[in-house]
Amino acid sequence: MIVEFWGQEFKVNVILGCIGGFLIAVVSSMFGFGGGPFMVPLMTVGLGLPMYVVVGSSLLAIFFNTMMGTARHFQFGNFDLVFFLIMFPAAILGGFIAPQIAKRVSPLTVKRIAVAGLLVLALNLLGVY
Amino acid sequence: MKRLWGLMVVACAVWLSVGLFSATDARAEEAKPDGAAAAMEAKPAESVTPPSIQIDKTSIENGGTIVLTGTAPAGKPVFIEVWGEKKVRASRFDAEPDKETGKRPYVLYMTEDMPAYYKIFVPQDQKEKLDKAKTEGKKWSFSQLLKDVGADAAYSAPAKIKIDRYQATLMGSVIGSRGDILPQMDDKENKKRSMQLVKARFVKPEKVMGTDVQINPDGSYRAEIKIREGLAPGIYTVVASVDKSAKSQPVTFENHISFPLIFLENAGTSINIFGPFLLTLAIAIFGVLMGAGGGFIMNPLFVSIWPLPHTVVAGTVMPTVLFSQGSGIYNYSKIKFINWKLGVTIGLSMVIGGFIGPKLTELITLDQFKFVFGWILIVLAGLMFWQTTPGYIDKNKKEQAILKEFKQKAEAAARQKGN
Repeated sequence: MIVEFWGQEFKVNVILGCIGGFLIAVVSSMFGFGGGPFMVPLMTVGLGLPMYVVVGSSLLAIFFNTMMGTARHFQFGNFDLVFFLIMFPAAILGGFIAPQIAKRVSPLTVKRIAVAGLLVLALNLLGVY
Repeated sequence: MKRLWGLMVVACAVWLSVGLFSATDARAEEAKPDGAAAAMEAKPAESVTPPSIQIDKTSIENGGTIVLTGTAPAGKPVFIEVWGEKKVRASRFDAEPDKETGKRPYVLYMTEDMPAYYKIFVPQDQKEKLDKAKTEGKKWSFSQLLKDVGADAAYSAPAKIKIDRYQATLMGSVIGSRGDILPQMDDKENKKRSMQLVKARFVKPEKVMGTDVQINPDGSYRAEIKIREGLAPGIYTVVASVDKSAKSQPVTFENHISFPLIFLENAGTSINIFGPFLLTLAIAIFGVLMGAGGGFIMNPLFVSIWPLPHTVVAGTVMPTVLFSQGSGIYNYSKIKFINWKLGVTIGLSMVIGGFIGPKLTELITLDQFKFVFGWILIVLAGLMFWQTTPGYIDKNKKEQAILKEFKQKAEAAARQKGN
């Protein structure tokens, strides 16, 4: 498939993109997270697209998954309205506060802390400690 | 007195129907299960006198201690069953190979009627057996534990809940269906499966059994029952029993909760709203900073900190990002930064994935959920680490510069068009 973006043309292996997207969608809707951190590497490394093409389009692709996942979870009775109403304002508020903090911290430091934090959490989940 | 007559009538009806139409007795029993059973068993001479029961208070405020006293025939163990009126869903996917045939059944058991609180209190001298079940880790069996402590006859409240069975198939799971519904089970099978569902819902042996019943040689007993914080509000029913036939009259108490505590109907748990609010806020901020959605950290923390079912956590966290994703798409589309052809093509394959995923959530246990999530986080940590390596940063700098340039171009174009 040929993708045109601001006058530039990119050749995309659409089969790889769809299979990868499908698998990420299964796992992310199963465990209830957005698939962004996996979609972006898939599209940059796997499909060889530059970052500026990927940011918006990957978000659009994930949005499809989130809509469907939400509808299905709702159908199966996994959605708790009160719980949602507690989290939703917090998530929105977080979205407003975060950019203010982002100006003051280096993204590299945040990522390093995130790596350490994720590993600690992962080992806890795997029952290592 | 009127009630006693009622029971007698029901008992006679049951007795008659057992003899005449064995097929209809299930319905008759269902109409008045406890009464019928008690009245029926009251007749034979060898029956044990039911224990008496007194409760020290009828109302508690977000948990508390209830003292139960009474007398039972001397030398008999006393079991106290406590359950709440609120109901929650419990499900279990049976994929264990059958002991005899070696075949995996792939049957999904599901009920909407599991009490949000259920616990059976047994005599203190059974502590060792409960401790043994605790050491078995995830492999403990509720039915085995009940048998060990001699409480299987006392187990009654969840035994008759309505359980639906679905025969799952690979194809069915792929198209996201629960599978064909199987016929209702008989009472014995229903009881057995209900025990497995109790385990699936309450996970740990100490959650469903306590060794708090103190029995004196003269047959009097005393139990101090701690109802912990964060449980479902509503009426709790308490029944003491010596064996299947000798059950006390039910006594009740009410658990009240008040703001900021809120009961989550689907999760079956009361929760202080500030807890999830602050946690979500903190993780949402951190998520934006690190460039990954909060769901990665939020979901495992929620299932670890609070007794929330993983299905409800996954199903409720997911919609919270809809809004931010939608506004992101809107902002990018304003500056024409979305390639619709690419996004929609991959998006369509993701729709299919999103159709299947939530189905799989209910087929796995909480432990499996945590285990797989652990590996997902390790992969994510690997990806993040890769993004901090010098090679990636160099490349990223160039890309970010181009991204910025494009954005400016796009914004300028959008502005021109607007003017």
